[in-house]
Amino acid sequence: MSKYILFNVMQVLVVMAFSPLAMGVLNRLKEIVQSKRGPSIFQPYWDLLKLFRKDEVVPKESSWIFRFTPYIVFITPIFVTLLIPVLTDYPLFWAFMSDMVGAGFVLALGGFFAVLAAIDTANPYGAMGASRTRMVGFLAEPVFLIVFFTVSFVANSTIPYIVQQKWVISLSDFFEPSHILLLIAFIMLILAEKGRIPVDNPSGHFELAMIEESKDLEYSGSGAALMKWGGWMKFFVLMIIFLNVLFTPWGLASTLHWGAVLLAIPLVLFKIFIFILFLVFIESSLAKLRLFRISEFLSTAFVIAVIAMLTSIFQYGGK
Amino acid sequence: MILVILVATVLIAAIISAISKDSIRIKTYTTLISSIITLWLSIRIALDVVTSSSHIITAIPYWISIDGLGALIVLLVSVVYFTASIFSIGYMKFDIASSSKLYYVNFNLFVFSMLIIPLIKEPNTVWIAVELTTLFSVLLVGFENTNAAIEAAWKYIVLTIMGAAIALLGFLILYWAARQAGVEHYTWSALLIAAPQMSPVLLKASFIFILVGFGAKIGLVPLHTWLPDAHSQAPSPVCALLSGVETTAILYVILRLLPIMSASLAIDVNTWLSIIGLISVGTAAFLLLQVKDYKRLFAFSTVEHMGIILVAFGLGGASAHIAAVLQMIGHTLTKSFAFYAAGSVLLIMGTRDIASVRNLIKKSPISGVALLLGGLAIAGAPPFVLFLSEFSIIKAGLSQGKYIIVGILVLFIAIAFFAIMNHVSRMVFGKDEKKSSEQIAPVTLPISTKITLGIAIIPIVIFGVYIPETLNKLIILAAAIVGGS
Amino acid sequence: MQTLQNTLPLITSLNALVGGLFMITAFGIVVTRQIRAGLKFFIFQSILLAASAFLLGIKPFSIDLLIVGVINLVTKVWLLPLLLRHMVKKEIYTRREITQVFNIPTSLIIALVLTILAYFFTLPWIETQTVLSIIHVNVPVGLAGLLLGAFTLIARREAVPQLLGLLAMENGAFFAGVAIAPDLPLIAELALAFDILMLTFVIGILTRTVNEHTGNTSVGSLAKLKEGVQK
Repeated sequence: MSKYILFNVMQVLVVMAFSPLAMGVLNRLKEIVQSKRGPSIFQPYWDLLKLFRKDEVVPKESSWIFRFTPYIVFITPIFVTLLIPVLTDYPLFWAFMSDMVGAGFVLALGGFFAVLAAIDTANPYGAMGASRTRMVGFLAEPVFLIVFFTVSFVANSTIPYIVQQKWVISLSDFFEPSHILLLIAFIMLILAEKGRIPVDNPSGHFELAMIEESKDLEYSGSGAALMKWGGWMKFFVLMIIFLNVLFTPWGLASTLHWGAVLLAIPLVLFKIFIFILFLVFIESSLAKLRLFRISEFLSTAFVIAVIAMLTSIFQYGGK
Repeated sequence: MILVILVATVLIAAIISAISKDSIRIKTYTTLISSIITLWLSIRIALDVVTSSSHIITAIPYWISIDGLGALIVLLVSVVYFTASIFSIGYMKFDIASSSKLYYVNFNLFVFSMLIIPLIKEPNTVWIAVELTTLFSVLLVGFENTNAAIEAAWKYIVLTIMGAAIALLGFLILYWAARQAGVEHYTWSALLIAAPQMSPVLLKASFIFILVGFGAKIGLVPLHTWLPDAHSQAPSPVCALLSGVETTAILYVILRLLPIMSASLAIDVNTWLSIIGLISVGTAAFLLLQVKDYKRLFAFSTVEHMGIILVAFGLGGASAHIAAVLQMIGHTLTKSFAFYAAGSVLLIMGTRDIASVRNLIKKSPISGVALLLGGLAIAGAPPFVLFLSEFSIIKAGLSQGKYIIVGILVLFIAIAFFAIMNHVSRMVFGKDEKKSSEQIAPVTLPISTKITLGIAIIPIVIFGVYIPETLNKLIILAAAIVGGS
Repeated sequence: MQTLQNTLPLITSLNALVGGLFMITAFGIVVTRQIRAGLKFFIFQSILLAASAFLLGIKPFSIDLLIVGVINLVTKVWLLPLLLRHMVKKEIYTRREITQVFNIPTSLIIALVLTILAYFFTLPWIETQTVLSIIHVNVPVGLAGLLLGAFTLIARREAVPQLLGLLAMENGAFFAGVAIAPDLPLIAELALAFDILMLTFVIGILTRTVNEHTGNTSVGSLAKLKEGVQK
């Protein structure tokens, strides 16, 4: 029992510790692809350290929401980490609390508060970014739902530990259309949800064109640090869900040994590295979409998700 | 053997028209000679089918053979091929000869594609032949190269190929049903034998798809919109082929399916045909009231006739089937004549507008009389063959007690009759309001046009009062095949 | 579902995957903005059609289907684009956004409804078959492809996209065909392939003529021929 709790805490620590690193690697690789040297892969850690040491300035007009939000944004990915298979392929101590839909709600809660806080500052850019984020969010939500429906239709469950077993036992299940097409839709969702190219440009500094970044413009000091860290963890958690639940649930610890669990850490990091390479490829080969084309990007994801569901229905012919 | 010669003749004519580079004369006479040979051969085939004991001529087993219904279609195609070839001589002289290079090639290939439909026994290949009729005729529709003609050609190809793709799925489903029933050699006759064992669900689905798909091709409402455009913009001899025989040849494919569907008890084909037919007749009758273009007038009359034929087959029973087959013959012969008459008016007046054609009987007595006779004939006035067939249809329907269907049909036919005669009589006898049209220099009709009109009117009048014994036998044979024996 | 797991699971799920991708290409042809992208979607769709023929031809081994796949690859993936590029080069390579009747999300939703309709249409047909589980996917996907092709004709006003719609309809019919009529006579298959090339050729000629007459290929704006309108 104690090991279940310990491993669960260890999952949280892994996510907290390595999410800035993942972001650093991603940024460095993108710069290298663009024939630049780029910052050190540990730069996000220095950023956090620097921000934590600075004073925090809070806008005069803002309410408690503004001060409260960084903690929520920071806590929600940690909460989700407790539920999902990060290192082990068996449920840990707190995994009983919720399924994938619940995890989705919790993640959305952080986003919701970030939007509120952006409006709360009375900074026009904040409200603009907030409305755009909501637009992307509203369009992404039906896709999330269809993805969950399809998963539950195929695996008869939305518990991540059951879902991950469904598609990987045999090669033929891996190639089911519902699986492959869902993966495509889910990648598109990750791109939209975390404001990556082609939906948003995370390295842009032009406030009028921002979607994701403009929400935390007003934060400073430890607030900014928590917002950034929380955002990175959310990205990390989404990648974990994609890799460990949907795409490649291999390399996870299946026993309660310390060795197995510790060995799982480099394996999971390696998978994330491969995925980051793929992301770099996408981000370097596509251009950012015009704002009103985002709806088409997400409706494409929607159609792919629906087709994934329809094909699996076709395949089983209502039986 | 005779079947192969028949097809080869037309194909050779097409090849000769393709290789004889600029000589319009060679192309014209090759086509004319080929059409005479084809006509003679098809009469021979019809006679052979009627006289032989099995009533079937086979060239290649399971692939090419012909029975009563097929012989009738071949005969109709050949007759119109013959008259249209004569009419083309005068038409080509009038028209610019430079762009007419491909006219005869397509013309012959078009006839070829229609001739092979009744010869082929394998349904999937029949589908290909039907698609070929579109592909070969679409450039003929756009032949005049005006904006309107190109538009008509585009609508024609898009709607009919769309229909053909739908029908293709229907044919594939039919094949599926046949495979499930264990059919070995996939032919129309094998389908008919195996029909009771086939899955009614699949049969019904395939019939719907084929009816919708080929319904677009024969101008059933609501997929008829291309038909008046294409049939009015094409050159007049092509109109005669399109409106007179292409529709009949495609209808043949649907007729082939009728006994198969009737053999499966679960499907009530007759009701569907009656309803679809009545909708077409009704729509066409009301649209006829407001046409502004006399070639469109005849085109809508084609929609009407197709509807009447479907209603007649939907009535069921031997007498209704015989009447329907007679209606098919009447439609082909009359409609081709009507388009020749319209073509001659077009040559004289140079316009398709009904309102600007007045007092035709003074300007060109031959065209005037021809248009009047054509109008009377397609509307179904007494001395002509369509009167006989429509009368028989009504009689057959009444004797079966289907008063509602017959009542609606009669009403629509009466409206259509009124509409056609209203337009035609104003064109022929109406007083000229505008003096300016007098300035058009009087044009004399080419001799070939007069000959065509003379030849094409003969069967319409004769069959209206007297049907030869052999033809009668052929009609009964064809009706029996649709009836499923 | 049990029979499905027992019989050739890998081929079945690969074929279903091909079916899903086939539908995506059909959607792509409906909504894409560039003519060239539409052509690419069509080529990809034809490759998928051939892939399905190959998969169904491997086991139970059927030389017919393998030949069908090869015929498809040759005509639709190689010859047809060649012909199209030769005949309407300007149309395909000019980068411009083509007009649509509906906006893209509306088109997508209509297309989704059509796909679901296709499923309900084909459900009773599939139930007539007891042995082959592979057709579970091919028949509804084929009908959906047919309907989406027809919808393309309605939603597009340009010549080449309309041609692509027609070709997509035939692809849809064939996609069902490889499952329900695998042993079609080869003569019919060859004639069908020839027929599609003819169709492309004829439409190419017409497109050129339309272009000569009106200066563009927006065939949807050709609407002179109507009832009751004085010309």
